[in-house]
Amino acid sequence: MKAFITLLYRQIKRFMRAKSRVIGAFVNPLLWLVFFGLGWSKVFNFPMAKQIFGGSDYLSFLAPGIVSMAIFSSSFISGISVLWDKEFGFLKEILVAPCSRKEAIMGRIVGDSLTSVLQGAIILLMTFTIAHSLKISGIPYVILLGFILAGSFVSVGVILALKMTSMEGFQMIMSFLMLPLLFLSGAFYPIDTMPAWMQALSRINPLTYAVDGSRYFLLGTSKFAITTDIGILLLLTFLFAGVAVYMFERTTID
Amino acid sequence: MDIISVKNLVKKFEDVTAVDNISFTVKKGEIFAFLGPNGAGKTTTIHILTTLLKPTEGTAIVAGHDVREDSAEIRKRIGIVFQDSSLDRELTAYENMYIHGKIYNVDGRDLRKRIEDLLKFVELGKFKNKVVKNFSGGMIRRLEIARALLHRPEILFLDEPTLGLDPQTRAHIWEYIKNMKEEHEMTIFLTTHYMDEAEQLAERIGIIDHGKIIAEGSPEELKKRIGKDVIYLRFSDKTENCMETELVKNCKILPDGRMELGVENAAEALPRIFEAAMKKGQKIMEVSYHSPTLNDVFLYLTGRAIREERGNKLDVMKNRRKRWRR
Repeated sequence: MKAFITLLYRQIKRFMRAKSRVIGAFVNPLLWLVFFGLGWSKVFNFPMAKQIFGGSDYLSFLAPGIVSMAIFSSSFISGISVLWDKEFGFLKEILVAPCSRKEAIMGRIVGDSLTSVLQGAIILLMTFTIAHSLKISGIPYVILLGFILAGSFVSVGVILALKMTSMEGFQMIMSFLMLPLLFLSGAFYPIDTMPAWMQALSRINPLTYAVDGSRYFLLGTSKFAITTDIGILLLLTFLFAGVAVYMFERTTID
Repeated sequence: MDIISVKNLVKKFEDVTAVDNISFTVKKGEIFAFLGPNGAGKTTTIHILTTLLKPTEGTAIVAGHDVREDSAEIRKRIGIVFQDSSLDRELTAYENMYIHGKIYNVDGRDLRKRIEDLLKFVELGKFKNKVVKNFSGGMIRRLEIARALLHRPEILFLDEPTLGLDPQTRAHIWEYIKNMKEEHEMTIFLTTHYMDEAEQLAERIGIIDHGKIIAEGSPEELKKRIGKDVIYLRFSDKTENCMETELVKNCKILPDGRMELGVENAAEALPRIFEAAMKKGQKIMEVSYHSPTLNDVFLYLTGRAIREERGNKLDVMKNRRKRWRR
């Protein structure tokens, strides 16, 4: 357990020290919520619109999506930061230590998931100030769901970072993976209104189920059954975390 | 007692043989140095001995355990200072030490006391709560040394411990290394391409070039190989033949055309050498002599000075260090 707790401690320490990253993590989702959300909410201010957005106003429809987006992007980025540990050498300190690598990487994944969820939780509380039909009782469930979501994307980030040999790949992944995943998640518009090919893609996007599950807890409506949402997210988290552990145990210096 | 014993060790990377069938031993409690130019295979050897790389062939026993089979046992017993920093730059000196202690099973009050003592030892006590990002190169190296000592390793590996540091800081770090050995009775294995460093610190030196150990012994033994003094001569005409007189222990023509002579006493030998040259009708243009340094030993063994950078292989090795694999 020692390596697990130590790495968890390290990730949280690092997070608290990186002030610019913390502020950045809040600013981006809030910009989306305020400018994108408030902007479109007036456009969608007609009776038919409520039907499209499952019975709620656009801001309330968007809010769960923004929370998931905040957790998704911060967890993905912190997972990929294993790449920085490679560049700056700290990874070697772990690789040569007489501790369980499985524990070490799990500590890191859980630590990063916690900090990501913390950011998501704060965004969630902020959304209550401008989105008015959200259920307060949903908060703890959304946070738990967010933790599962974070676990899966921190793991994906770790996997990519271990596979990558240079920093150059990083920017490419950010633009070719992150934005499409967001647009195909149903965070900004309902999946049902998408063209069929986009709908097909959104069904294989893990983020879709986090957004849908969050809507279930905050609005009471969802496209999929809540058990489906949670089941698929859990499955993916175990799968990705398992692959990350497997790969980390076999990492060597070449 | 041998604390490290390496037999016929080979490490190949696809196209390059980085370590080419080397064998050597390190005795408990001694400072052993690998001396050689960049790309000679020093870092690769350290990576194998510290269980970060698997050897292609051969055996290596470190602190009583085989690097192939018992990496976990070896890791508990060794401390390493890598060539590039492996600190977490976002954390403080204390936090870096604390994390290291925890993953090496040092706990509680004992851990706190050791951290305080070691930070004092490397004169970083005042900076214990400062973030490493703002440290100078010398401070980073000192902190790494302190961290490597935290779990009281039996063997300390230092990969180019003073690379890129200014002369004052280097002398400082040498002091720490000597003190460390005395205070903790530790075995130290270090690699360097600095002659003065090997001479200052090492009790025994292995000279390594192109992945092979080409000579081994104490600095004195190595220097004795050429003689007590070395004389360099340049003739007006290029000579192919070495000079044969009774006082010359060994003789060699260097690639730059100079003749290198190892003698017992240059003051006595020089008149005889001039005589011999005159008899042959050779005209001497330039004479110099000094007592041999390790650089002369390397020059004698390889025909090159150690600091000559050799393009291709060096670049290959540099790139290799940057490359990571799953």
